Amino acid sequence: MAVYRRNYKPYSGPLTAAWSRCFVLFRYSRKNLFRSKFLTGLFVVCFFYPLLCLIMIYLAHSASFLAELGIPSQVLTIDNKFFLNFMSVQGVFAFLLTTFAGPGLISPDLANGALPLYFCRPFSRTDYVLGKASVLVILLSQITWVPGLILFAIQAGLAGASWAWSNLWIAGSLMISSLIWIAILSLLAMALSAWVKWRIVAGAMLLGVRFFGWGFALAVNEVLRIKSGHFFDVAYLMGTIWTALFQVSSEHAISVPQAWVALLVYCAICLGLLMRKVRAYEVVR
Amino acid sequence: MSDRIVFEDVSKFYGEILGVNRVNLSIPPGITSLVGPNGSGKTTLMNLMTGLVRPTRGRVDILGCPTDDPERLFTMLGYSTQFDAFPKGLTGFQFIYSYLRLSGRDAQRAEQMAWRVIERVNLVEAAKRNIAGYSKGMRQRIRLAQALAHDPKVLVLDEPLNGLDPLARSEMIALFRATAAQGCYVIISSHILHEVDVISDQVILLSNGYVVAEGQIATVRGEIQEHPTQILIRCTRPRALAAKMLEEEIAIDISIHKDERGLLLKTRDADRFYLALNDLALHENGNGIDIESIAPADDDVLSVYEYLIGNEEAVR
Repeated sequence: MAVYRRNYKPYSGPLTAAWSRCFVLFRYSRKNLFRSKFLTGLFVVCFFYPLLCLIMIYLAHSASFLAELGIPSQVLTIDNKFFLNFMSVQGVFAFLLTTFAGPGLISPDLANGALPLYFCRPFSRTDYVLGKASVLVILLSQITWVPGLILFAIQAGLAGASWAWSNLWIAGSLMISSLIWIAILSLLAMALSAWVKWRIVAGAMLLGVRFFGWGFALAVNEVLRIKSGHFFDVAYLMGTIWTALFQVSSEHAISVPQAWVALLVYCAICLGLLMRKVRAYEVVR
Repeated sequence: MSDRIVFEDVSKFYGEILGVNRVNLSIPPGITSLVGPNGSGKTTLMNLMTGLVRPTRGRVDILGCPTDDPERLFTMLGYSTQFDAFPKGLTGFQFIYSYLRLSGRDAQRAEQMAWRVIERVNLVEAAKRNIAGYSKGMRQRIRLAQALAHDPKVLVLDEPLNGLDPLARSEMIALFRATAAQGCYVIISSHILHEVDVISDQVILLSNGYVVAEGQIATVRGEIQEHPTQILIRCTRPRALAAKMLEEEIAIDISIHKDERGLLLKTRDADRFYLALNDLALHENGNGIDIESIAPADDDVLSVYEYLIGNEEAVR
């Protein structure tokens, strides 16, 4: 064919920034998630406790109102324990939300063989995982550290600048606690979603990791008369770190550095499992 | 910048399983078909071309771009996979649009380009419907559309004609031809050999992970010495023509048609046969033989496939 007839013209317009492309996945995945009325309902329920906390903060600063109700003002103290309780409750909701939202993130793409379609673009495996993880990270942030910081700001506003300065570390603890929990839940949910193509089974397995881990830890401790069984219980490890971060004294069988290391190991295992499965092709043996 | 798709001593092993071995190719613009039985390495070759798998050994280079540079590679390459693969819950338009966004087009351009390509594959009416409700042919077309949407110079299409009805097939073939005519590279794998024959500028024959032959079909056929070339001639007095060819030791086997209006001749030297036929027509005034038509009987992909890969391999 004559060269002059070759009239192919490549696209020469601008391209969006490479880092921003993973948010395309976020938009579609989030839209898919909120098609479920149950999940939307659960998401709304997740704000009940922050609302209760807000009322408690208001009451704590309304001495006359408490007096009218006959409640001693010491009952409602807004301190590090209050915010640790907030984290513990919201942590449970975060886990429940992940159980329903997480398994559907990757498994449909694997079940439908859609991964090669994603990866034959200027779009890497890391972008894919980040795009999918961002759905959970943003969703769980909305019910953990974001309301947590809002409550902290309201408390600071009502209690005054001196309280805010002396308790500023609580805001940091809220952020760090939430982000660690979100990272672990996201990685765990995505790893299970990648390995178990059936969404319901992946959700059940996530619940299994929580409750079987807890039961297994107890059994190991009882049978072997040791305390190391707690390494199998992710929630226990998380609790150890949270109490340390919120400077609440409690007795844990595992030291804080040990809990950190154990959680890092869990994260590394999940990431390894995830990257092993999130590939453009699958070898059929 | 190179104007070829180059494979240099490329091997790919999946653990102990051979994907392809010692592949050396230089693919020019036009329509190139990968032909071979199941498991011969066609999809592996395509995955290597698109950078989805990395070669165990050797180098793959797409128009001067290494396959491990996705940012550059996928601006010029579009891939349509063999499998019925779609993210869940998308409409045809969303499917094209979202992948254009992943390819780095902004919202406005992505929308324009999506509609343009949807129109090109004749799916405008179905574009707002969920892909899950598409017929097999429509799915094939929308998959093709996502590969074409970002105006790639290299199109890699794994079994693109599977599941299409005859009308849709001819439309798709016209689309491939139009794309190739622009100077693009259209790489197709197919089992439908008679269509490969019609559309391909060149073929690559694969068997058990090895490239058995490559090039234009006629050239490949010409190189197969052990199988004599078969030529179909429609003429009057076929017996006279047969006698002449046997006398000059050009033909090694001749069978006369039942209607006595033609013959099938086998020769190991097709060039000599054609010269002799010219000579007969020009200098001997045809000896009363009127030749109506001459056509090679095994100068097609199916014959080449059978000769090189064998009848025992299933050809669909």
